[in-house]
Amino acid sequence: MDTLISTLLSGVVLGALYALMASGLSLVWTTLGVFNFAHGALMTIGAFVAWTVSEAVGLGLPAGVVAGVASAALLGVVVEYLLIRPFYGRPNMLLITVMTTLAGMIILEKGAQMIWGARLKQLPRLIDGEVSIFGAVISAHEALIIVVAPLILLALWQFTTRTYLGRSLRAVGQNQDAAALLGINVSFTFALAFGLGAALAGLTGVLLGGIRFITPSLGAEPLVKAMIVVIFGGLGSLGATVGAAFVIGLAEAFLVLTLGLYWTPFALFLGLIAVLIFRPNGLFGRV
Amino acid sequence: MSRFLEVEGMTAGYGAVTVLRNISLYVDHGENVGLFGPNGHGKTTLLRTLSGLMRAAMGKVRFDGQDISRARPWEIVGLGMVQAQQGNTLFGEMEIAETLELAAFNRRAREKAAANLDRIYTLFPRLAERKRQKAKTLSGGERQMLSIGAALMCAPRLLLLDEPTLGLSPRLKEELAEALRAISQDVPLVVVEQDVELLLALSNRLYLIEHGEVQREIGKDNAPDHQEIMDMYFGEHA
Repeated sequence: MDTLISTLLSGVVLGALYALMASGLSLVWTTLGVFNFAHGALMTIGAFVAWTVSEAVGLGLPAGVVAGVASAALLGVVVEYLLIRPFYGRPNMLLITVMTTLAGMIILEKGAQMIWGARLKQLPRLIDGEVSIFGAVISAHEALIIVVAPLILLALWQFTTRTYLGRSLRAVGQNQDAAALLGINVSFTFALAFGLGAALAGLTGVLLGGIRFITPSLGAEPLVKAMIVVIFGGLGSLGATVGAAFVIGLAEAFLVLTLGLYWTPFALFLGLIAVLIFRPNGLFGRV
Repeated sequence: MSRFLEVEGMTAGYGAVTVLRNISLYVDHGENVGLFGPNGHGKTTLLRTLSGLMRAAMGKVRFDGQDISRARPWEIVGLGMVQAQQGNTLFGEMEIAETLELAAFNRRAREKAAANLDRIYTLFPRLAERKRQKAKTLSGGERQMLSIGAALMCAPRLLLLDEPTLGLSPRLKEELAEALRAISQDVPLVVVEQDVELLLALSNRLYLIEHGEVQREIGKDNAPDHQEIMDMYFGEHA
């Protein structure tokens, strides 16, 4: 019973992290139609900057969190400006940006290695202590992730459905010309989507940095998971992405329990392929 | 006093294909202007270039005394020149009410958003009935109304309409013409239309656009009769 609950909990923690990560990826995809392969590297940079500000400089964790998220957001805007913007309107933009963002990922990862080195770093936990839920014990840091992630995603959802700026993101994603003719600054919207997506990646990095060791390739695995989540859920809708994130998180936790760490990625990809065969638009996508 | 809108020697096109050749026209304060001519002769391209979606290769556009030849679409909307595109679905996944609220995006429009929204729902009661419906589920006529409604939410000082009655049933067309007359009471219009009678009823002057050029300017005093209009569309011997 305890194993079941603790597996369930670790699945929810994973789901919450994947949801944060994947919703940033999904936001960029729905607004610009670009799949950002540098998303994981932006997350890594966020974690490293948070570590530098909080641990190396010693300004404390709150300052580190803010700096980590802000630097990821800023870098996201730079990535958009340098690697995406020159190619808008090209008929093969999707393919070009696959290459440019892959290049961006490599540059950022290698850059992180040059700046911070390959030695493992770790952020302190956001809160100390442990929480007991139905007899299973998780760290308070993980419990915080379970609470914070849905709140952030709720705020993001409110932003995209209730505010002028948030709605303009969705409008630009659906019809760029029409959005421009209503007075929406399309270029700014692109930068905003990228910045917000990167901020979410940075936040994921900061949260993950308290659980795992921070290395230059910290973001590689979450990027793959986020891609599975976004495709699995059906490209384009925030709700579908979040739903899929928790499905994948829980599936992963139980697969690790039953099949072990080694076969879990294999099983996840098999599941993804199966879903795409029977529901080509994703699990929650419209057919 | 300068003209409200003035186009001077505009040449524009797509890549190597020139669509508009040396177009010059103007709209004075307080007048409505119609553009007509055969399909595929550059009317839509002209509106797209005026709105900044395309950049003219040559020529100048001045709106309310300001040079907007190189301005971006959202800057032009900010200045008050707004276009409702033809047969536009706008944002398929957005509800009518949400689309209209979003359309009051520029600063000038936000102050007037509530009043403009009321006015649009009075002009187009169908939109008020379908507030919570997504744009992709609307009929052609309703999409047209939404497109015009959204443009009105931008608080236009000059409204460009691209074939507002295209593909509508005669009854709907009459309904829309009625609404356009009401709109033209307080916003000057530049209307692209195939229906010259509707244009003549709505506007002070007409431009015939053919082969990407202004072929003829028509005022109240030299209004053509039906046969002449048919000739302009189909050639003298039709």
